[in-house]
Amino acid sequence: MSYLKLILKNPFRNKTRGALAIVGIAIGIMVIVALGMVTGGLKESTTSTLKAGAAEINVMQTGSSSMGSGRVNESRVTELQNISGVKETAGLLKATNTSTSGSSVGTSSTGTTSGTTSMGSGGPNSLGGLSVTGMDPGKLSLAGIENVTGSLYSATSENQVIIGKTVSTNLNKSVGDTVNLFGKDFTITGIFETGNFMTDAGVFMSLTTLQNLTSNNNTVSTIAVKINQDANTTEVSKSIETSYPNELSTTSAEAIAGRMNSALSTIDAATWAISLLAIVIGGVGVINTMIMSVFERTREIGVLKAVGWKERRILGMILGESVVLTLIAAVVGTIVAVVGVVVLLSLSFGGTIEPSFAPGIFLEAFVVAFVVGIIGGLYPAYRASRLSPTEALRYE
Amino acid sequence: MSTGGNIIEIHELKKSYDDGKIKALNGLNLEVKKGEFLSIMGPSGSGKSTLLNMIGALDVADEGTIKVAGIDLMKTKELNEFRSQEIGFVFQMHNLIPNLTVLENVEIPMYETDLSSSQMRERAMELLKAVDLEDKADQIPTKLSGGERQRVAIARALVNRPSIILADEPTGSLDSKTGDVILKLLSDLHEKENVTLVMVTHEPYVGNMAERIVNVLDGKIQNQK
Repeated sequence: MSYLKLILKNPFRNKTRGALAIVGIAIGIMVIVALGMVTGGLKESTTSTLKAGAAEINVMQTGSSSMGSGRVNESRVTELQNISGVKETAGLLKATNTSTSGSSVGTSSTGTTSGTTSMGSGGPNSLGGLSVTGMDPGKLSLAGIENVTGSLYSATSENQVIIGKTVSTNLNKSVGDTVNLFGKDFTITGIFETGNFMTDAGVFMSLTTLQNLTSNNNTVSTIAVKINQDANTTEVSKSIETSYPNELSTTSAEAIAGRMNSALSTIDAATWAISLLAIVIGGVGVINTMIMSVFERTREIGVLKAVGWKERRILGMILGESVVLTLIAAVVGTIVAVVGVVVLLSLSFGGTIEPSFAPGIFLEAFVVAFVVGIIGGLYPAYRASRLSPTEALRYE
Repeated sequence: MSTGGNIIEIHELKKSYDDGKIKALNGLNLEVKKGEFLSIMGPSGSGKSTLLNMIGALDVADEGTIKVAGIDLMKTKELNEFRSQEIGFVFQMHNLIPNLTVLENVEIPMYETDLSSSQMRERAMELLKAVDLEDKADQIPTKLSGGERQRVAIARALVNRPSIILADEPTGSLDSKTGDVILKLLSDLHEKENVTLVMVTHEPYVGNMAERIVNVLDGKIQNQK
């Protein structure tokens, strides 16, 4: 039997103790992986808002609490095209379908470049709370919508919509099906997917149609602004705000994504603090397990020394056993985390948040497990290697 | 039987414990010829096990000189290699590792050699055949009788072809019949493998099997026969 096989075999001499040590570490690993997958998924989603075609700047009414809550005169959409550096503009009206028969404008939460979502009273599988945006179909690229399966609605259509992938999945709707919004039936002409979990949970229709349905003629909630390639986002934003003081405010897609990532970074830090605590607790378990193991094998270690084993071989064996335990815990914790996150996200958020499977998350977990194995096994291994052979052999 | 010069030379060896309160060895002198079968006898606490530990480099003396297989143990720092290559231990309690098979237990001393896994296995099986336990190679020690476990321990002691076997009361925890089997095995292997055999015992009939008996008392050789 090889030395490696011995190291793999020894941790399970006491199966219960080995299993408990593994569970302790696995919990910490599970936390690291699960939170990494969720925050990674959220980050990937916010990154996708910075798509090539999407608007860099969003303009809204000064003082409005969110991009859906203010009202801007529709004429500003055309006027802003005269601002230096502006390539293209589009007006968006946002509303929330709170029930199959009712609607409200401006109840959306603070947002992203194109839409907001709330799961409303009916949950992810009902139309209640569905985010509806009115926009010129020719300008959808400014909302990050590049490819649509099916076809777009026409600018003047009163009964056509395109829906996001998440809506399609949750409501089990395909091209050609109908949805009831604001008490009216609309035919789904296309399905889009942007990668942004909020946008993909919404519905788009003709701006004019939504204005009529919500009695907001000549009004938009926000104006999406695409700048020229050589223009500077900050300068253009300043120009707009200077041109319309106390009327219009701007926010950039980058700033929004940055704020979200900053919030996610805070969550990351909290995640690490929780994970560190779990790892410390699990690590103490490893130290305890290995100390007990060395204690019980005192005489055996004396025999190994008597037959000529070097100190470093004994140290390597104990350290190796510790790492074996923690690496197995990493595998167990990772599997539980992956299954748990996938199941929980699909049940809780209706698949609007896609977990991240970035290799870095799993690599991090295994590195942490390895390091805990080394740290947890170091003292017991050192103790074992330094045992006096005669005293160890006399031990009962 | 002895075949030549001294393999063990001990001169005025002293060892004490408990801050000098217990004088385990008190100026002991001993020479053992290569290939000899020597019995060390004495009452409990006389220093015979301490003497064995010194010869096997399990402990270090306070004073005196001790040379084993040409190596000055007082002047050599790293003694693992010496123990691995020159010494084979047989303890009173067999000290087999319980979660390893019989074969794996015999292989343990070979880990510090350059042998491959297959070579280790081959050598271990060779020794198990010599002690008539090759059919128990895949069993764990708890499934064996006391005598069988001690036979495995003897196989383990011989696996690296040591020049000296040190046996500390090898039949101490066995019944007389099984003890006789073990003693005969040790004696036969001593002849066949041409190793020097130094055995500690307090039983006269066991001691009488040796070519020479030394009696230890109060940490010194009392007499020899």
